[in-house]
Parts: sequence; structure tokens; C-alpha cells
Amino acid sequence: MISLPHYLAIGAILFVLGLIGFLTRRNLIVMFLSAELMLQGVALNFVAFSRAHGNLHGQVFALFIIAVAACEAGIALAMFLMLYRKKRSLDISLWQALREPGLEETRDTVPLPVEPKEEPLPVLSVSGVEPARKERDYA
Amino acid sequence: MLFTFYFLLFTFYFEEDVLADSSNDLNWTVLLPVVAGGLAVWYMLPSTKRRPMVFGALAGLIALVGLAVFLVSGFGDQIPQTVEAGLFFGFSGLAVVFATLMITCRNPARSALSFAIVVLSTCGLFLLLAAPFLMAATIVIYAGAIIVTFLFVIMLSQHGGLSSADLRSRDPDLAVVAGFVLLAALLVGLERVYDWRNVDSAIAHAQQLAEAEKIDPEYLTPLTDGLGDPLPLTPKAEAFLTDLRAALNRVKVASPRSMDDSRLTDHKLVQEIENDMNGLANLGFRHHDAETIRTNCQKIAAGLSRLKALRDGNASFSDVPRSEHGEVKPIGNGPKQLPAANVSAVGRTLFSDHLLAIELAGTLLLVATIGAIAIAGRRGKSS
Repeated sequence: MISLPHYLAIGAILFVLGLIGFLTRRNLIVMFLSAELMLQGVALNFVAFSRAHGNLHGQVFALFIIAVAACEAGIALAMFLMLYRKKRSLDISLWQALREPGLEETRDTVPLPVEPKEEPLPVLSVSGVEPARKERDYA
Repeated sequence: MLFTFYFLLFTFYFEEDVLADSSNDLNWTVLLPVVAGGLAVWYMLPSTKRRPMVFGALAGLIALVGLAVFLVSGFGDQIPQTVEAGLFFGFSGLAVVFATLMITCRNPARSALSFAIVVLSTCGLFLLLAAPFLMAATIVIYAGAIIVTFLFVIMLSQHGGLSSADLRSRDPDLAVVAGFVLLAALLVGLERVYDWRNVDSAIAHAQQLAEAEKIDPEYLTPLTDGLGDPLPLTPKAEAFLTDLRAALNRVKVASPRSMDDSRLTDHKLVQEIENDMNGLANLGFRHHDAETIRTNCQKIAAGLSRLKALRDGNASFSDVPRSEHGEVKPIGNGPKQLPAANVSAVGRTLFSDHLLAIELAGTLLLVATIGAIAIAGRRGKSS
């Protein structure tokens, strides 16, 4: 039968994927989504333990996780909007001034690949004489 | 490919260390999905180099198949072909696939939609775990409110298409190594805690030997005239004793280590089993004492079963001296009964056992609301 360790394994996988996303991605929104993914993994663990132990305390814990995640989402999204107004970007590396003293600033050394530019549409030269307009056409 | 080399090195070292006393030194059911999954995630993370997606997809497929094999065979339970098993594998496969897509998509809007699918699949798993209220609440709050708010923020802040932050990732090698070493540790730990197969087979083997009418001569060392060094044990007896030792190591994991800690009977039991095993080898197998073999095997099987039941949380604790922390109740193995009226039972638990916590959570929500309004309501100079 599907027992406790199966759900624990799925919870562990979700947590680890969220961890990797939080560590690597640089968009504030994706980082925040990764943190929520970690919370989902933990909530799955709590509910699985609740089922295995036959009481409801695990489900109550998961409810509290949802409440805290909702608070977190509200505050974080408000802050993202404010940060976006200051820098016009959601790139986390624009806020490196907040880093710990004594640490080097991280710089991107590898340039992004240059997208090939599209050929501009051909422009036809004007040929012939423009017909005179009458006043009543504009009425 | 330096990263791959380091990754393999880390994982090999780790596996070998953890599974030193197991017969399966390199635990392939864990190693294969973890390495393939790490490669898949590393391939698909945003990077300045264009990588062929085919390899990432292929590695991801291998990782998923390996994960399914691990889940089916790793914990020693037989998985029947029921609707529950089908739903579990469907929902968890969806959750894992879309979680991977979420962290690897370059477009944050697609990430948010993938996260919505992950939440829906997790809600399916909640329903399988008999938590219908939590499922409904999670769908409404996560997949409804939070994701929609995210999409609004993305809409407000992504005017010029993808930014350079979405096309790069920071230290993907180290992050993937760290994450998947952690995952391997968790999976190996789960397997070692929940897989009882080698203990069960050792107990069955000992019981079979204890009930045998006539001891199989393959176990018995040929007799000498009593002079000189004792002959080594036969291969079959040696294998049997190795199995017993591995099973004992497996069940004594949590027993107290210090000799003078006599509050728990575990330690005495472990010592008795070790003595019985020595007697079995020296007196039984070397000197053909059938009675010793039978009684010792009987005692070893009973002792191992008792220790396994203690580890399992399945034993009655009446004969275990209590620790100073009070009464110990058996936890029990396998799913217990949950009340059918889930909503009312959750409400009763919330408002009786967790009353203070729920008041605090409500206060937290209020404070967060005020804070969000205070932060977002302030106008920046640029707007």
C-alpha cells in the first residue's frame, strides 16, 4: 500500500527543487515561488504524518503554514512593487548594496548571447505624384 | 563537465559512507534517479549557453522512471494495483514534473502557472491523505489568491519582455550539487528507516532453522579431533550470521550506547542476541549441537522481532521501563482511523488544542495586512 515514506519522499523532492530554485534564480518573483514550493513540500510531510499517527495535529500545522505563507505573500509582493518602482527591474543582483560587509560584489562575466536581429521590412520609395486633396474630404 | 565529475564524486563518497554495512554498497535505486535528476535540472536551468534540451528531457525521463522504481521497490511494501496507487503516482509525477518546470522556465509567468499545477497536484495528495478541508483551503488560498496576486505583480512589472535576470542563473553547479546531495541523504535515510526487508528475512531464516527437524549439514563445520585451530564456518553459516549481524545493526540503531544506561531494556536485549549469536557459531555450528542451534535461533528471532517492534513504534510498552518523560504510548504502524467529519474535527482541534496559536496566527495576518498596505501605498519618487 502507499504508506508514509512515499509521501515523505515526494515532500523531500519538492523541498529540494524549491531550494535549488531559490539558490539559482535571480528574478525576485521566481525566488519567492521557490520558497512557496519548499513550504508545499513541508506541508505535505505534515499531512502525511497526520495520517500516519491518526490525529489531526499535522493538518492543523499545515493550516498554520498556509496562514504564514499568505502573510508572507502579501508583504513580499508589496515589497516587490516598491523595489520595482525604485530600480525598474526585479533582478535581485541590483540590490547587492544590501550584502554583508566585506563580500565582493558578484558580477556577470559571461555576456548574454546576442539574438540575431530581424531584417527590417522593405520600405518602398514614393512613386508618382500625390493627388491634391479637397477640403471636403476632411469634413 | 567538471561539475558532473564533482557531483559523482560527492554522491559516491556519500553513498559509500552511509551504506557501509549494507550488501548493496552503491544504492543504485537512489543513485540513478538522483544523478539523472540533478543532470536534468542543471541542463534546463537558464544559462547563457544554449544547451540542447533533448538531453535535459532524456535525463528527466530517466530520473522519473528511476524515482518510480525507487518508490515501488524501495520501502519493501508491495504496492497493489489499486486506484489509490494510480492516483498517488499520477499526482506526485505531475507535482515533480511541474516543480522542475517551475524552477527552469525563463518566463516568470509560466513559472507561476506551473506552480499553480504543483499546488493542485499537492491538493490531490492531500485528498488521498484524508484531508479534504486542507485541500479546499489550499486550492482557494494558494491556487486562487496567491497565484493570481503573483500574476498581477508580474503584469505590473514585466513591461519589456524577459530581463537579463531571467536568462541567467547564479551558481547553478553548486546549487544543484548541494540540493541533490541533500535529496540523496533524505532518500537513503527514508529507505534505511522504513525498509525492513533484510530484518524480516533474517528473522524468517532464524525461525526456519529453529523449527527444522534436522539441521542442514551445509551449516555444520566438519568435525576435527578437537586439536589445533577450529575450522572456519561453512559459507552458508557465515552468510546466515552476516545477515543476522546486519539485521541487529539495523534494529539497534537507536539503542542507548553507554553501558551503564540500564533504564531501557534494549541494550540488554542487544547484548543477549550477540551472546546467542556467538554461541550459535561456536557451540552450534562448530560442535554440531542441534539443541543449541534450535534454542539460540529461537531466542535470536524473538529478540530481533521485539527490537523491530520497538523501532516500528508497534510494540506495547508495558514491559519497557519508562523514561523520566512520563508515559510512552505506542505509535502504531500503518494509517490509523481519522474522523470522517474532517471539517468539524479540524475545527475542534484548532479551537481546543491550538487556541493560542490560532489567535496568534490571526494577529499575524492582521499585522501583515497593515504592513502590506503601508509598504505598497507609499509612492516612489520615480512614479
